[in-house]
Amino acid sequence: MQNVAMQNKRSDSWLNIKKDFNTMTWVLMPVAIAINMAVGQIVATLRLPVYLDSIGTVLVGVICGPWAGALTGALANTILGLTINPDFLPWWPVAAVIGLVSGICANYGLFKSWWGVVVSGFIIALAAAISSVPISLLVYGGITTGGTGLITAYLVETGRGIVQAVFASSFLTEPVDKITTAMLAFAIIQGLSKRFLARFPRAENVETDEKISQTQLIIAVAVVILLILFAIFLLGRLTGA
Amino acid sequence: MHERLSFFVKRDSPIHRLNPMTKVVLALSLVLIAFSSPWYWTPQAIFLLAIIPLTFIARVVKEYWSFFLKVILPTVSFLFVMQALFLPGESRIIFEIFGLEVTELSAQLAFRNATRIAVMVSSFTILLLTTHPSELMSDLTRRGLPGQFAYVIIASLQIIPQMQAKAQTIISAQRSRGLDTQSSFFRRVGAIVPLVGPLVFGSLVEVEERAIAIEARGFTSTRAKTSFHEIPDPSSERVIRWLLIFLVIISLALKLWLS
Repeated sequence: MQNVAMQNKRSDSWLNIKKDFNTMTWVLMPVAIAINMAVGQIVATLRLPVYLDSIGTVLVGVICGPWAGALTGALANTILGLTINPDFLPWWPVAAVIGLVSGICANYGLFKSWWGVVVSGFIIALAAAISSVPISLLVYGGITTGGTGLITAYLVETGRGIVQAVFASSFLTEPVDKITTAMLAFAIIQGLSKRFLARFPRAENVETDEKISQTQLIIAVAVVILLILFAIFLLGRLTGA
Repeated sequence: MHERLSFFVKRDSPIHRLNPMTKVVLALSLVLIAFSSPWYWTPQAIFLLAIIPLTFIARVVKEYWSFFLKVILPTVSFLFVMQALFLPGESRIIFEIFGLEVTELSAQLAFRNATRIAVMVSSFTILLLTTHPSELMSDLTRRGLPGQFAYVIIASLQIIPQMQAKAQTIISAQRSRGLDTQSSFFRRVGAIVPLVGPLVFGSLVEVEERAIAIEARGFTSTRAKTSFHEIPDPSSERVIRWLLIFLVIISLALKLWLS
């Protein structure tokens, strides 16, 4: 009996593209894009060393599905390019990968506990780092315009190959940002009512029976802080060499 | 507060009158040729012989150059300096600064990469200065882009300025209640929740109402919709588009053949 119940609760394959898109998804997408921008603006006002500009994308990926997340990411970057600075345009595949991967993680049940969310954040960061390498190499010739570009430049100067340097620098900067993003998106989902969530196509991705415990959250935050310290340590080692 | 955000400037020019699709193809082919051409001077030539004349023809010289000075020039010069200093290249050293060498090869590569980015950003800027987003979207929808995509883009352009205004209001409101947004790092991290929370939950509440409203207006209907506003697409422009695509193919083929 229990086995049958478990099977019924399992979510549909993430390959089912059609399932991701109902009217709620289409209406959530522009709101999610605006959330990306507005939260990015708040974080910039607070002068924090992260971007957090893909919370909306991750949110759509988790509750609507990977393909909706990917489309949100791609359109978000296109719109950012159309309105703020066309320099954002070439990065749309990275934003799409972020939405896609967060959706896949949610489909495998990682968005049901703080543990899973930290792991997803890490996987999203890895995917984002890998997908940004070809773009920074092809479009910018390796060294991009942001703070990440400075780290790449330093690594090249200390004798590393350009591909290695590009990968290392985005891998140093992405995890902290993406884990925090995933955790904030999860916190937002926890704050939404079940009735509201049920109207989105993949609400079962975040359905939990027991209450999310506070201890888990504290441990998750501790993991993030450890990770930041580890990144700083790695950076020190790399630049010291 | 309810204005749409876009670059568009209303003028009467030959470029403004072009079909939006022609302008999209033009912008994309300039970018693709600048990035794929095997000839070193192509991006520079495109900038001087295509981008600059286009700004004159489109009568957006003032708007373009003010954007160029504010956004494009700083980005591109930063890129040039960084790449000239850090790209590896074994050749004659031009000069040295703080132990960093600028070689002939790295300066050349940096100059080409920076011009490519300038061409890319400029051609999209001209497209956006001369094309109204709604016109672009209705033309693309007529050509088969699903209406939902157009909805997402147009709705985002409307919601983003409202949301940015709302974010500013929330920041001011929480500050007036004594929220610390400027002191130590941990205080600032702690300020994320009271700032992001109201913004996100406030905006998500509207989602359901909006879904009901647009469903009532035939959003999910698959029948072809008619448009009040006709966008002209003369056959001469079709020829221009095919010509541009042909040039891109030649450039890509040359690149593959020579490498």
